[in-house]
Amino acid sequence: MRNIYLIFRRDFLGYVKAWGFWLSLAAVPLFIIIGGSFGYFAASSSPVRYYAVVEPSGVISEAIDAEFARSEARAAEETAALAADMQVDVSSAQVAAATPRKFIQVAPPARTIEDLRPYLLGEKTVAGPDGDKPLFAVFLLTEDGGALQYWSTDVNVTMLHYAAETAMRDLGRRDALLAAGLSADFLKKVDEAALPVTAFRLRSEAEPETGGSEVTMADRAPAIVAGALAYFLWLMVFSIIQYLLMGTIEERSNKIFDTLLTSVKLPELLAGKLLAVFAVTSTMMLSWSVFAAAGSAFAASQSPALMDMVAPFVAAATNPGLIIPALISFMLGYVLYGAIFMALGSLCDTIQEAQTLLSPMMILLMLPMFAIFIAFQDPGSPIIDYASWFPLFTPFLLILRIPQDPPLWEILAQMGLMAITTALIVWGATKVYRAGAVHGAGIGDLGGMIKAAIGLKPKTA
Amino acid sequence: MGAAPLVMSGATKRFGAFTAVKALSFDVPQGQIVGFLGPNGAGKSTSLRMALGVMQPDEGSVALFGRAPDISNLRHVGFLPEERGLYKKMSARDTITYFARLKGMSAADAKARANELLEATGLGAFKATRISKLSKGMAQKVQILSTLAHRPDFLILDEPFSGLDPMNQQTLEDLIRAEHKRGATILFSTHVMEHAERLCDRIVMLARGRKVFDGSLDAAYATLGQGARMAVEHGFDLAAVMRPKGFEAHRAADKGPGDSWRVEFPSGLGAQDALRAALEAGAPILGFQPEEARLRDVFVSLVGEAEAAALDAPASVTEVEAA
Repeated sequence: MRNIYLIFRRDFLGYVKAWGFWLSLAAVPLFIIIGGSFGYFAASSSPVRYYAVVEPSGVISEAIDAEFARSEARAAEETAALAADMQVDVSSAQVAAATPRKFIQVAPPARTIEDLRPYLLGEKTVAGPDGDKPLFAVFLLTEDGGALQYWSTDVNVTMLHYAAETAMRDLGRRDALLAAGLSADFLKKVDEAALPVTAFRLRSEAEPETGGSEVTMADRAPAIVAGALAYFLWLMVFSIIQYLLMGTIEERSNKIFDTLLTSVKLPELLAGKLLAVFAVTSTMMLSWSVFAAAGSAFAASQSPALMDMVAPFVAAATNPGLIIPALISFMLGYVLYGAIFMALGSLCDTIQEAQTLLSPMMILLMLPMFAIFIAFQDPGSPIIDYASWFPLFTPFLLILRIPQDPPLWEILAQMGLMAITTALIVWGATKVYRAGAVHGAGIGDLGGMIKAAIGLKPKTA
Repeated sequence: MGAAPLVMSGATKRFGAFTAVKALSFDVPQGQIVGFLGPNGAGKSTSLRMALGVMQPDEGSVALFGRAPDISNLRHVGFLPEERGLYKKMSARDTITYFARLKGMSAADAKARANELLEATGLGAFKATRISKLSKGMAQKVQILSTLAHRPDFLILDEPFSGLDPMNQQTLEDLIRAEHKRGATILFSTHVMEHAERLCDRIVMLARGRKVFDGSLDAAYATLGQGARMAVEHGFDLAAVMRPKGFEAHRAADKGPGDSWRVEFPSGLGAQDALRAALEAGAPILGFQPEEARLRDVFVSLVGEAEAAALDAPASVTEVEAA
């Protein structure tokens, strides 16, 4: 154990002392903060823009203006509701007042696009509530009244264009309803009159019906937690490929194996290395999780509703019936894939050589990912039942199947099969590692080793 | 630790159709410095890797302190591999500490020992320097210190002098002598015979995977017939006058004025006897040079000039290995 610890410690410190580790660690929270701040600053710093509508009746300009008013009111109500959740006393009117409109309609200074051109190009300005400014956009109703043209020098800002489209659709719908002798809010009433469809779950007699039969988040949480765990395992395995490949190449190119192998047993060396990479990726993911949990806890402390949302997931994640088999699958899956990648890494002399291995490794890893996708869609699918017996998929699919309450014998049999497979893979990987690290075997020798192992070719060494 | 540090008995190692080491038997007695000599590709490194249990012999056996090599008896061994390598991002002190701890030393002892060794070898100022920032010679020194740090009873050094400049070679020779004085048994391989001549109590010579000699330096020199170079005036038949006095003389390649001859000494007679006999016979002597026995000559006499030429081949030639 002491040697495993020493190998683990050296490798772990080697990784965490590198700048890349700290950059990766900081990158996720930093990007979330920067991304969030960027969105906020982009919204608050966008300029006030003028637009004009050229049409004879004023109906269209009113409709566009009304659409902006509606969307503002909707956003203000949502913000006020969230504020109320967080026990902040603010009205929707106060919110609306604090967020000034970014598109303001002004009277058109001319009636044709030729005459409006200097205003759009910024050569001339129009007076408005935010001072004199050029026009950002102009809406022109065609002479036959069949189309509304949108003119602007900036085609990338599409908010005004979309607002006009929505306004025209509502206007058209209202006119059609009125022409048919129906009121403008007829469709809304129709939607409200639809029968609600409520989901219920038939529980076994032994199962407590604490929340009634209606399907709640508490019913869905175990599947979501299992899915997250399976995806976490996949992500973990995906992340370690590079560490294991590069770490082993460094040692092989540094010719350090002979020295190490006169001090530690090969299985101790492999165990220490696998643990170190596991600790590095865990540290990274746990740090991100702590960041997310701290954010969620802060949000939950501000809003009891959010606390109610998180509670079923915490309950599912701490349920021993789910978490114990899931953690066993997780550990076996990690060791199984880690041993494969480490053994392959020991056959590479250069980073270029390792890069040629990355594609087949990615394909190998995409297979369980496809199975995870199918399991998300339909966890009870017979395909998932069958696929979960395939040892390379078992770690992921068994985790996903557990919330479906598969028969106990299946869980135990699949765990047993997975444990046997993992032991065989570790045994084979140790052989390959020894061949690569000690005897200098390369990727080209892998075929011969497999043939020798299954007795197709006499062993030569 | 009563048993001999190393006993190899009929050890054979094959890589496919290639036999790297063939039925090698020798032992390294307690307290000796043993040189393991041979040209590149002779099977020295493979033999040492078998001695350490890194490789298993296909036939024969290896006993390290009386039993098969394992981690517990390897704790008493310090090994310097031929292909040097360290973790480039670790500091000199951390490197020595790490390898000493892997050999069983406590963290505090290993660190203190690393400091002591670095100070003693003039690397004290580079304790905290990364290996990648050290010169090649300094990095090699650090690796050698890593081998010695845990005060091993038995040191196995594979081509320890290769890549070192003359000054560092001398430092290493001194270090080997100091370790020997401390009580360590030492086995080192080399293809440079001069190091073995200066350091060894005993030598084991290897050629094409086979042992060609095993014994003391004196025994090695004794395998050579001793003789001297004698130059006489042109046309004088030295063989004719020396034969009645019990000496055989043969023409040799001329290396100066007159004719050059090689005079072989019969058992019990030496250079003074040969010179006296030639003078008494009236030989017109122009030059006389007793031959100095060298290990290289011993090796030549045992395996032939062609094989011995490999001693001078570059050290980068590696043995062919397959998985």
